[in-house]
Amino acid sequence: MWVARAEDGFLFGGLTGNYVDTLRAVPMLLESSDPRVRERLLPDTYDDPEEERQWRQHATPELERLFMSRCQLVRRDLAAMQQEPEAESFLLRIADGHVSAWLSSLNAARLALFALNDLTAEHMERDGSARVGSKQQEALLRIHFLAEVQGALLDDLDLVEPRDDATPPGA
Amino acid sequence: MRPPRAATKEQTKPKVDTSLAPPWNVIVHDDPVTLMTYVTNVFMQVFGYPQDKAQRLMLEVHRSGRSVVWTGARERAEVYAQKLQAHHLLTSLEVVDA
Repeated sequence: MWVARAEDGFLFGGLTGNYVDTLRAVPMLLESSDPRVRERLLPDTYDDPEEERQWRQHATPELERLFMSRCQLVRRDLAAMQQEPEAESFLLRIADGHVSAWLSSLNAARLALFALNDLTAEHMERDGSARVGSKQQEALLRIHFLAEVQGALLDDLDLVEPRDDATPPGA
Repeated sequence: MRPPRAATKEQTKPKVDTSLAPPWNVIVHDDPVTLMTYVTNVFMQVFGYPQDKAQRLMLEVHRSGRSVVWTGARERAEVYAQKLQAHHLLTSLEVVDA
């Protein structure tokens, strides 16, 4: 895989079979109804059960809506992937305006893969994949590949991009 | 129309609520998957923290397993918790002990 900065976004090229499949799975992982995934993407926020119930009542639907709208952007970019001329690989273009959606969706996909494959913190270490089965090894490769994509986007991200809101925090 | 009844001294005396609402901590917990640079970026984006502060908090999460990233009014704490969860950071809220 190679990455290039275009005028109004990022280009990811040299994407062959497994890479393309892994990227195409990102929205599906984010939408997974598996309880392990939902539990990680929508974690408990309060210790108190009644407070937690109220939190879930008002915060969860909003978060789900946000995840879905990010999925739509990611899906749109994936659908626009093009085969590179005279090559079997594909080219993905991520517009600057979609970077934030991609970053969080990639993170969600990595978390989902981790949860769905019963991976542990040890597996994430440098030589962690040596001690797991082939299915987990494949999941780890996918997690690390998605981290590469995330890293490429983060490396070039303007760290003073606008805040989520304009209210100064009290801390 | 009847004129309003003159209020007694007790009725007009404003009630003073001495039990101020306690502050709440927004806590981010470590997870082995999320990239450190991503966490730093989220702290900068959500709170507007400068890079060095965001990085210090990220390292505290990484090394101690959790970090109090903001403390204040509950309503605001909930807004921040939701924003952090929107970026998939493992976030919880706890009241600050008196």
